[in-house]
Amino acid sequence: MKFRRFSVSLLLLAVLACRPSTEVKLTIAVAANMQYAISEIVEAFTNKTEIQCNLIIGSSGKLTAQIKEGAPYDVFLSANMKYPMELFDDGLTTAPPKVYANGGLVLWTQSDQIVPSLTSLTNKDVKHIALANPEIAPYGRASIQVLRNLDLHDTLVEKLVYAESISQTNQFISTGVAQIGFTAKSVVLSPDLKGKGKWKTLDPKYYDPVQQGIVLTRRNENRDNSPQRFFDFIFSEEARKILEKYGYSMDE
Amino acid sequence: MNWDPLILTFKLALVTTALLFLVSLPLAYWLTYTKSKFKPIAETLVSMPLVLPPTVLGFYFLIAFSPNNFFGNWLDQTFGIQLVFSFWGLVLASMIYSLPFMVHPLQSGLSGLPNSLKEASYVMGKSRFQTLVKVLLPNIKSSLLTGIVLAFAHTIGEFGVVLMIGGSIPGSTKVASIAIYEEVEALNYTAANTYSLVLFAITFGILLLVYLSNGGYLKRFLK
Repeated sequence: MKFRRFSVSLLLLAVLACRPSTEVKLTIAVAANMQYAISEIVEAFTNKTEIQCNLIIGSSGKLTAQIKEGAPYDVFLSANMKYPMELFDDGLTTAPPKVYANGGLVLWTQSDQIVPSLTSLTNKDVKHIALANPEIAPYGRASIQVLRNLDLHDTLVEKLVYAESISQTNQFISTGVAQIGFTAKSVVLSPDLKGKGKWKTLDPKYYDPVQQGIVLTRRNENRDNSPQRFFDFIFSEEARKILEKYGYSMDE
Repeated sequence: MNWDPLILTFKLALVTTALLFLVSLPLAYWLTYTKSKFKPIAETLVSMPLVLPPTVLGFYFLIAFSPNNFFGNWLDQTFGIQLVFSFWGLVLASMIYSLPFMVHPLQSGLSGLPNSLKEASYVMGKSRFQTLVKVLLPNIKSSLLTGIVLAFAHTIGEFGVVLMIGGSIPGSTKVASIAIYEEVEALNYTAANTYSLVLFAITFGILLLVYLSNGGYLKRFLK
C-alpha cells in the first residue's frame, strides 16, 4: 500500500516535471559586479514588459566558457569587452558587443584604524590588500593599473592577495582577512553593503574604463523579440538611472 | 610554462603528509585501543572532512584565521603568525581536510592485528612505544602505505579550501589546481591542459604504484 502511494506520487512528480512552462523566460548571464544593479533593472524591465527573467551570476570568464559550450543564455552582460568580442568572433552572437556602462573602482575597508586611500596602502597595519586576479577579472586588471601608474606595485607586491572574482574580493575584505582591497563601486553602493566599512572612489584617470558590454547570443534567432527588448531597455533612461545609482557612468 | 604551481603542490602535499602522519599515528593508536566513552565522538569528528563540502571548511578557516577574530588575533599577537593567505595556513587546512584519509587506514590496520602480538611483546618486556614501532607498524606496512599515499594524493587534489583561504599568491599559495582554474577562467585552455595532463600522469603513477604494491604484483614482477 505504502509502495503504491509512493509510486503514484512519483508518477505525479514526473508528470508535473514534464509539463512545459508556458511563460516566456529570458535567461540573462551577468558578470558578478553587476549583480546588485541588475536585479533592480530586471525588476523594472519585468514590470514594464511582463517578460520574466532568470539571472545567472558568475565571472565573465566562466560565463563566456559556458556560452562557448552551448549554455542556454539569451543575453550576456560581461564586465569587459574582450570576452563578448571573442564570442562574436566565434560567431556565437548576433552582433558585436556594445558598451552600456563603465564601472567605477573603489578602495574598501572594514577596519576602524584604516582610512581608505592610496597612501594608506603602505601603512604597516595593512598586512594584506585584496584585489581580483588581474589575469581573469576586469576589476583586478584596473586595480593593477592603478598600482602600476602610481609606482606602488613593487613596494606592495608582498601584500597583494588575489581573489578569483570580484565576489571573492568582497569576501576577503568583508571578513577582514584582508584589511583593505579594491572592489567595484556598485558593491559598496548596494543595499546589502551600504554603510558597512569605509570606501573611497579612485580617480578614473589611473585605469582604463571597466567597460560593461552586452551581447545577444545566437540562440535568439528563432524566438520572439524579448532579448532585443531587454537590449533596448538597458540603454533606456530608466535603466540608466538605476546604473548611475550604483556608481556606473555612461559614455556621452 | 610556469612550473611553480606544480612544485608548490607537491611541496604542500609532502609537508602535509609528513606532519599528518605524526599526528595521525597516535590518534589512530588511541582510537584502536581506547575504551573511552568519547571514542564514537572522536571517530565522527575524524570522518567529518569526508562528508563536509570543502566550502564549509574553507568558510570556517576564513573566519577563524581572520585577525578580527579571537583565534586569528591571538595567533598574530602571540606568535606573529598569520595563517590566512600563507603556505602554513594551507598546510594546517590540508591536514584537517586529509585527516580521515590517513587515520582510517592506520586504524583499520591496527585493529586487524591479533592482540596476542602486542601481548607477547609486552611479556618480553618491551615498552608500548617499542611495541608500536618494532612490532605493530612492521605488520601493517600496506596500511601505512595506503594512508600515506591517500593523504598525499588527496592533498594534491585539494581545491575548494585552497581557493577560499589561499589568495592565489605565486610561490606560496597558488597551487596547481588553482592555476588550472585560473587558466580556464582566462580561456587559456592550452596552459590548463598542460597542468592538468602533468597532474593526471603523476597521480596515475602514484596510485598505480600503491595498487601494484598492495596487490603483491610488484614483488612477483621483481622476482
